[in-house]
Amino acid sequence: MMHLRTLLLSALLLWDLAAGASSGSDGVQLDVLHHVTNAYYLDFTPLGKLELPRILIDPEGVHVFPSTTAALRDGRFIPAEWAEEGAPSGGGGEEAESARAGFFGESRAGGPETVEVTHVGKLARRDGLPVYLDLSLTRHGVFMLLAAALLLGIFLPLAARYRAGIGRESAPRGPWQNLWETFIVFIRDEVARPNLGEEHYRRYLPYLLTAFFFILFCNLLGLVPFGATATGNITVTAVLASFTFIITQVAGTRDYWRHIFWMPGVPVALRPILTVVEFIGLFTKPFALAIRLFANMTAGHVAIVCILGLIFIFGGMSPALGYAVAPFSVAVTLGVYGLELLVALLQAYIFTILSAVFIAGALEEHHHEEETH
Amino acid sequence: MDASALAYLAAGIGAGLAAIGAGIGIGRIGGSAVEGAARQPEAVGQIRQLFILGAALIEGVALFGIVVALLLTLLK
Repeated sequence: MMHLRTLLLSALLLWDLAAGASSGSDGVQLDVLHHVTNAYYLDFTPLGKLELPRILIDPEGVHVFPSTTAALRDGRFIPAEWAEEGAPSGGGGEEAESARAGFFGESRAGGPETVEVTHVGKLARRDGLPVYLDLSLTRHGVFMLLAAALLLGIFLPLAARYRAGIGRESAPRGPWQNLWETFIVFIRDEVARPNLGEEHYRRYLPYLLTAFFFILFCNLLGLVPFGATATGNITVTAVLASFTFIITQVAGTRDYWRHIFWMPGVPVALRPILTVVEFIGLFTKPFALAIRLFANMTAGHVAIVCILGLIFIFGGMSPALGYAVAPFSVAVTLGVYGLELLVALLQAYIFTILSAVFIAGALEEHHHEEETH
Repeated sequence: MDASALAYLAAGIGAGLAAIGAGIGIGRIGGSAVEGAARQPEAVGQIRQLFILGAALIEGVALFGIVVALLLTLLK
């Protein structure tokens, strides 16, 4: 199934790149990557777009703007691409000035919906001063915070119930508590306990549960209409994987480090080679963890956009063809969407179980007497 | 053929090869898992967990290939 998804991704992405290039002339443009990458606005397309606040820290202090438009109107900031194109910094940036004027002229001509503004990425100072820190909210950031808020909102009251004894001394009460207990018990009994062992699992269970539910919520929020998948952002998954990395290294026993730097039971001449291999392996494991989650979440969304995009590609050739393709496109999208629901759960589970396996590997105590093969 | 055309070609071939590798790997695991489950239906739970774990690890390798392919297509 995952293999199928990989195929789908590669086939459809390339198909779309080819189609996008050919359909550019008749005005049908489908920017697939734009739908899955991060941006500085929330997309409620039939209803409009909501620009997100811009927060920039530069030598002059902290600048907070309610939207990208406000930040550009302020005049001190321009899109970073323009700054890179090299408006003469000494001459007051005349090119940038004219470009800015044209920018707002275009957006006004295009109606109240400022299509161009939403395509603006990072901002830079017009006068060439550096921007130290860009804390602007992005849509992935918004949905990540939403997932975190949901996590707190659901599990803090639940924890209070368990502390009061409901579910511990008596059976869990109500469908709400039963629902979440199913997941929690599953992670405890199927993931943490068999991998980490009876004496260690309690220590790492909180992390595993947090990672599982956070990833699950991020994944599922991406499937909600108007939603964005925070786990479809490589930085989010990289930070999650680095948590696993740090916990694994902190949990590492003497045996774990010895097996990395001076593998016992191996001819001495081979040991330096194994040290290099093991040392690289230290980083590839969390790297694969990050890439796997990111690629799986992005791939599904790209597949959905591509299949729906077929309607517009064929519609661009002739309207009748577009109508003919639409039912098939929608049906296949529905199927992929169902698959996505499964994958959302599966990837959260895989991240959690692999984290447990990596941590367990670091905890393992070896008996070297038996290992002199 | 210019450099970007070669990059697209390399991306296509690379993605295909990665998918072939993952297909063979996951196919072998899947086959063995079904055989194992048929012989010992009571161990299905454990077999499923091992299957998902192995499939995830193989998929990770394939995804490395896909990421490299994607980077090639983004090459201008």
